[in-house]
Amino acid sequence: MQLKHEAGAPHPGGEIAKAAIPYLEIRNIQKSFGGVRALKGVSLSIEPGQIYHLMGENGCGKSTLIKIISGAQPADAGELLIDGKPVGHLSPVAALAAGIETVYQDFSLLPNLSVAENVGLTQQLVAASGRLARRLDLTQMRQTAERALAAVNLPTNRAFLSTRTDELPMATRQLIAIARAIASDARLVIMDEPTTALTKHEVDNLIGIVTRLRAKGVAVLFVTHKLDECKEIGGRAVIMRDGQKVAECDIADHTKAELGFWMTGKVLDESRYRSAPKFGEDLLSVDALSLKGAFAKVSFSMRRGEIVGITGLLDSGRNELARAIAGVVPADAGRIRLGGKDVTPRKPADAIGAGIGYVPEDRLSEGLFLEKPIEENIVVPVLDRLRGAFGILDGRRSRALAERSVEDLQVVTPDVANPVQSLSGGNQQRVLIGRWLTINPKLLVLHGPTVGVDVGSKDTIYRIIQRLADEGMGVIIISDDLLELLQNCDRIMVMRKGEVVETFEAETLKEETLYSALVEVTTVRTPQ
Amino acid sequence: MTDTTFNGATPDGSNKAAIGSAWRWLLRHPPVVTFALIVLVCLVVGTINTDFWQVSNLFDILRASVVRGLFALGVLVVLASGGIDVSFTAIAAFVMYTVTMLVTNLLPGLPMPVILLVAAAGGACFGALNGLLVHTLRAPSLIVTIGTQYVIRSFLLTFVGTALFMNIPGSMEAFGKLALFTHQSANGSISALPAFVLVLAVAAVVTWWILERTLIGRAVYAVGGNPGIAERLGYNLRTVHIFVFAYAGLLAGIAGIMHVASNRLANPFDLAGMELEIIAAVVLGGARITGGSGSVIGTLLGVVLITLVSNVLILVGIPSTWQLAIIGVFIVLAGTVFSLRARG
Repeated sequence: MQLKHEAGAPHPGGEIAKAAIPYLEIRNIQKSFGGVRALKGVSLSIEPGQIYHLMGENGCGKSTLIKIISGAQPADAGELLIDGKPVGHLSPVAALAAGIETVYQDFSLLPNLSVAENVGLTQQLVAASGRLARRLDLTQMRQTAERALAAVNLPTNRAFLSTRTDELPMATRQLIAIARAIASDARLVIMDEPTTALTKHEVDNLIGIVTRLRAKGVAVLFVTHKLDECKEIGGRAVIMRDGQKVAECDIADHTKAELGFWMTGKVLDESRYRSAPKFGEDLLSVDALSLKGAFAKVSFSMRRGEIVGITGLLDSGRNELARAIAGVVPADAGRIRLGGKDVTPRKPADAIGAGIGYVPEDRLSEGLFLEKPIEENIVVPVLDRLRGAFGILDGRRSRALAERSVEDLQVVTPDVANPVQSLSGGNQQRVLIGRWLTINPKLLVLHGPTVGVDVGSKDTIYRIIQRLADEGMGVIIISDDLLELLQNCDRIMVMRKGEVVETFEAETLKEETLYSALVEVTTVRTPQ
Repeated sequence: MTDTTFNGATPDGSNKAAIGSAWRWLLRHPPVVTFALIVLVCLVVGTINTDFWQVSNLFDILRASVVRGLFALGVLVVLASGGIDVSFTAIAAFVMYTVTMLVTNLLPGLPMPVILLVAAAGGACFGALNGLLVHTLRAPSLIVTIGTQYVIRSFLLTFVGTALFMNIPGSMEAFGKLALFTHQSANGSISALPAFVLVLAVAAVVTWWILERTLIGRAVYAVGGNPGIAERLGYNLRTVHIFVFAYAGLLAGIAGIMHVASNRLANPFDLAGMELEIIAAVVLGGARITGGSGSVIGTLLGVVLITLVSNVLILVGIPSTWQLAIIGVFIVLAGTVFSLRARG
């Protein structure tokens, strides 16, 4: 299909003409969200058959750039050119019609539709230019799906084709998302953090697929922050920081440290925050905690002043374990003892009452009341302590508490009456931590404490965590940021398939060792 | 659809596994539960009172299913897209009364197909308005359609009229009397299967075709499954929203005319309060209230079940006041089975 296109291009023949007109050119794209400049003028050329790695810290603007290329959001300013021709703002269907396919991080599969429909419908939608008053071509849909599924080594039998996608395991869903992307004549496949949920074996399968795509002249754009995988796959690195492209280079020519420097703007400091920990008496003992379908017989104990890290892939059960300790989704078997007392929480209030603070992974949906003032967000768990006369909230004490908390955690804000949504991600996270500190927890469970947080804030948050542990609090960090765990923890537990499979002393641990424990080759679960 | 997996997964000798896979199969095919309930009601009622097994009774149930069925097909399409519509009864009342009045007063000789067309168009316009409001206001469709239901009904009673129409247009009356099939029973009484049951049959086939064989149909389920993802994948939410409500309105318009033709009178106070019963029928047929599922066959079975309970309990001496309780029990039963399905 690539050749057909080249023949029709305005500059036929010759290597020079081909190189002169990239498939996709982005010129000076800008985008703001309510005063925050997410993209400050980004330019990029995508050549056919080339592999790109769009790298950068969370919040550097890479997801925004992807949304603009795939037509999910319009740019405020700048130009998009396909085959040298300006295309204006792309709608999702127009982007698909131009051959831009996106494999989203959440896979974006329709849960209630069959595998065949998920893979094959897009092509028909694009053929109809997004108009819906069209007959469905079932035969074409099935054939398209069979071809695309075979290309990613998935089964093509009728039973599999008619399975609902929400009944399939994560890795299979991801392959289906990739199959959808390559089902039509894709010319650029964007993969948004495609390896997060995959085992080593599945990553290898993915790399094989990418190599085949590349051989067909399809460009592939990875969005990632995993330097090791980028180096393994090879290609060009496009590095973003604070809404700008700061570097573009051949990934093989530069060391991880150099790439990391460009991404963060500072020398990649891998030194440990943890120093001279002082452990107190026994604090927490988790005994054979289980939740059907999530994790089984998890046991560990920790002392006061200790920081324990828990990591694992998305379906390892780590998220469920964190929620079970916090009582959000209670475990169905096992015990949690805090200071010798059985406190196994059945609901979040139990955990709070026992002195367990929980900072959830998704601040926005699980944690913060975004449009409410910072003050209200902080004092929520201790409202009954702030009761004044007639049970009415004592405004002065509430405000004083919030201001102390804001100062303590270095939240950058002129006034605690401002809504939380006026803060940056890092500051929002500090408000959330501040909230749980108001209950003086014995144990603080931090779930992805620096997801979506910039580097400067990370540093502050790490220092806060260390200080809390030094003061005798027990801290559990659940995270897939391995460096974060290595820098902050005393011990790191690795979970796979709902079980704690290994526990490491963090001080002497190498990142490679931890990583290979994390992604240990497991059997691929694809229904036959 | 997944029969193959079912048959393949039944190992011989292991009863427990067989029951387990049968149960899973059942959960994936909710209309089977509905069908089982229908059979159960028929057997119980038919055993107690053998009068149940009369052709005239069957005809009665079919006749009574038409208006409900048309409504239910519309509700199915809206539910599948993740919305809900409670304004269809008001739309039907408005259309049936206004059209009957206009035809009687202005064009008494208008043929039936034209009347149906006008009613369908009128209903579709009201429905499209619902869809537009739901889409542009980004408001929950339950709230929007409660609002439009009140406005439409109030408008009808205030500006159009409150008087009964006893003399309906000739073509409508003739259509209502037209028999597809007559049957003479042993005792000599004659019962007829009215031709307008065909309208429901056609509507069912068309709805099935739209949902299963067109892009808009798949888009309806896609939006019902996850609107955010559907939009990202290029499905036009506006088109889907307007389509589902307009289609429900269109069927409601036709249902209104069917109601007039079978009752031979147009009462503007009719049809009010049927909304929940219809939604219950669709949910009994296996559609999830949260959207993204449901089938035409299940919906029809749900309608038959509800009609059956309303019509035949009287045959076994159960007072009509008990009907609601029995329908209620069925709904809770079906709801439990389907939520087990959701939990996997």
